[in-house]
Amino acid sequence: MKSREQEYKEIFIAEALEYFDALNRLISELEKRPQDDQVLAEIFRMLHNLKANAKAIGYLQISDVSHKLETAFGLIRNKELSFSDEVVGVLFDGIDLLGELIKSIDSERQVEVDPVLIRNLDIIVDSLSDSTVELAKVQKFSTSRNLTLSDLIYIQVKKLDHLMNLVGELIIDRDRILSLSRELDSDELKTVGSHLYRITEDLQYSVMDARLVSIGTLFNKFPRVVRDIATAEKKEIDLELSGQDIQIDRNILQIMTDSLLHLVRNAITHGIEKPEQRVRADKTKAGLLQLSARSDRESVVITLTDDGKGIDIGKVKKAAVAQQLVPADVAENLPDSEVYSFLFEPGFSLAKEVTEFSGRGVGLDVVKNAIDSIGGRIRIESEKGKGTSFILQLPTSIAVKGALLFEIDSIFYAIPLIHTDSVVALDKDELHEVGEVLVADIKGETVTVVYLDELLNVEESQMRLGDKTRLKGQVQNIIIVSYNNRKLGLIVDKLYRQQDIVVKPLSKPLDSIDLYGGVTLLGTGKVCLVLDVPAITRYFVNRR
Amino acid sequence: MKEKTNKKEAPSAAVESGTDKTAETAVASAKDNPAKPEAVKEEMIHLIVFKLGAEEYGIKIDQVKEVTVTPNVTRMPRTPDFIKGVANIRGDIIAIMDLEERFGIRPVPLAGDLNPHITYTLVIEAKEYSIGVIVREVPQSLNLSMTKIDKTPSFLQDINIHENYIEGIAKVNNRLIIVLDMYKILTQDEIRELKSN
Repeated sequence: MKSREQEYKEIFIAEALEYFDALNRLISELEKRPQDDQVLAEIFRMLHNLKANAKAIGYLQISDVSHKLETAFGLIRNKELSFSDEVVGVLFDGIDLLGELIKSIDSERQVEVDPVLIRNLDIIVDSLSDSTVELAKVQKFSTSRNLTLSDLIYIQVKKLDHLMNLVGELIIDRDRILSLSRELDSDELKTVGSHLYRITEDLQYSVMDARLVSIGTLFNKFPRVVRDIATAEKKEIDLELSGQDIQIDRNILQIMTDSLLHLVRNAITHGIEKPEQRVRADKTKAGLLQLSARSDRESVVITLTDDGKGIDIGKVKKAAVAQQLVPADVAENLPDSEVYSFLFEPGFSLAKEVTEFSGRGVGLDVVKNAIDSIGGRIRIESEKGKGTSFILQLPTSIAVKGALLFEIDSIFYAIPLIHTDSVVALDKDELHEVGEVLVADIKGETVTVVYLDELLNVEESQMRLGDKTRLKGQVQNIIIVSYNNRKLGLIVDKLYRQQDIVVKPLSKPLDSIDLYGGVTLLGTGKVCLVLDVPAITRYFVNRR
Repeated sequence: MKEKTNKKEAPSAAVESGTDKTAETAVASAKDNPAKPEAVKEEMIHLIVFKLGAEEYGIKIDQVKEVTVTPNVTRMPRTPDFIKGVANIRGDIIAIMDLEERFGIRPVPLAGDLNPHITYTLVIEAKEYSIGVIVREVPQSLNLSMTKIDKTPSFLQDINIHENYIEGIAKVNNRLIIVLDMYKILTQDEIRELKSN
């Protein structure tokens, strides 16, 4: 893997060469039509960008020459310098020099900047209309013109999406071939199959890699955003960023953009206190906001932490009871993690006043939906008086997911691993009928258990989720899933292996059925339905 | 393997033989109107015709992507009854619909020589999606003149305004064919119904 710096350098060179090509084209155009303001403006813009980029990455010679050229074109634009033959010559020389400098970045050869050329540039910039100063002849440093094409190409994300879909199809076919080779017990087919396996795996990771962007591309927008919100809220905020180099699928980052912005707004308006309050509470005057990213096995964890006033559990409980999300007596004994999950209910709000930036009824439920849609998880940690953390666990890639396969009523299903906690086998006697549901003691925790066959296949009016007699067999396979800090056990008929699957989104009109996150094709060619854990949980809760 | 290829050929062969028949029909209709020599050039419409219940229905051929023996359909719990499930058709996973259930059409017993276990699926390409429609008999292809289609039969006023998936009624050789507009087959209401499940 190339170092980040090397990659930045390559991107800079490719962009700079593009600018160089465009400048050559534009200045030739300008020579023919010196009055064309649009061309002039374009040249000006490019030189300006080139200057800024070069300066940022530390190529001072390039930024210096660009600066001089930019000044010259600025003068031409303001009609303070005429675009005469002499001037044109100098400008062409200057642009050639830029090209040489850019090309030399990646080679051993150092380009000597011709002092005469620099002097000429200075002369046309400084002397203005005073044309008495002679422009010296420049020794051409490069007579051989090499035509080169850029090493980088821009590509539409749409095309990468298409490529990813094709890889998905290929993986499905590959699995099919592998299972056929086992069925037919053909050694030759097995050899081809295992080779195909390696190639497709390589291909899959290459395409996934091409879609990765560093989280910094999003994080680096926040200093300005935080400053603006803090100013409007009359608060002082120090923002600390870390893990900008962590890489994530571009589309996932795109989907998370609004959510992250929302969480940051919330943290500043509701989390961090006003300076005077902070001083009274023995805290630093400026609030600290930390936005960090780190890799965790197959996922990326983004954490947003503030050192504000924390979430008042009591208030959340009260509001939840007032909004009839939970009976008062139940709320009393709920674990903190479950209380926080009320914050993600649609319409739930603790805000008393609406400010410009938050509290307009768009709540955390929107954030939650966005995270659900890409198959991620969110959780809250908070301590009153000390601060709050939002922890977002996101998949690195949308298309390929680890999943658990199982069967209910002869239909294959899969649940993404990101939502599964554990798998247990319990005897029927260990399940208890409590109220209208089944519960079981799983590692010291009382967990609601639901028979999926009953939940999915029995007519809604006949459904009896608390009836053990509906179960088949003595030993029950249970997948414990976790959603919104709540655990739920799902009883399945047959449990199969864990496997990487390519989730195909359901096409219209089925895409509006939210019980299914998509489908996948198994090696046998059979269709397997991917259950959406958030939707299953909601459906279960609503049935009850 | 062999069996599968045979199955795939079956409907296309049927469609071809259907085309022969329609060529006849077209010729016949031209003969019917000897007074109009330009009738040959008049606008033609190509329909795929199939049976639902006891009636014949037609879909314009440009809305039909392919006709195939119905593949394995995976049932999707908690979807409306007329959604039979999803099937893998050439790598695309599409919804399979039963129009008899969708329209509340009373099914009729199959003719004795037909295998009740084999059905056919018309893959329909609607504006935003593809969908499979199950039919029990091999669909036929039919060419007819646009003038044979009555676009606004008066009875349309008698049925519910929302049921405007009927594009017209074609009358050919004593046959009455109900021409469906597949783009309207799933109304917004039904898509919403899918969602609420």
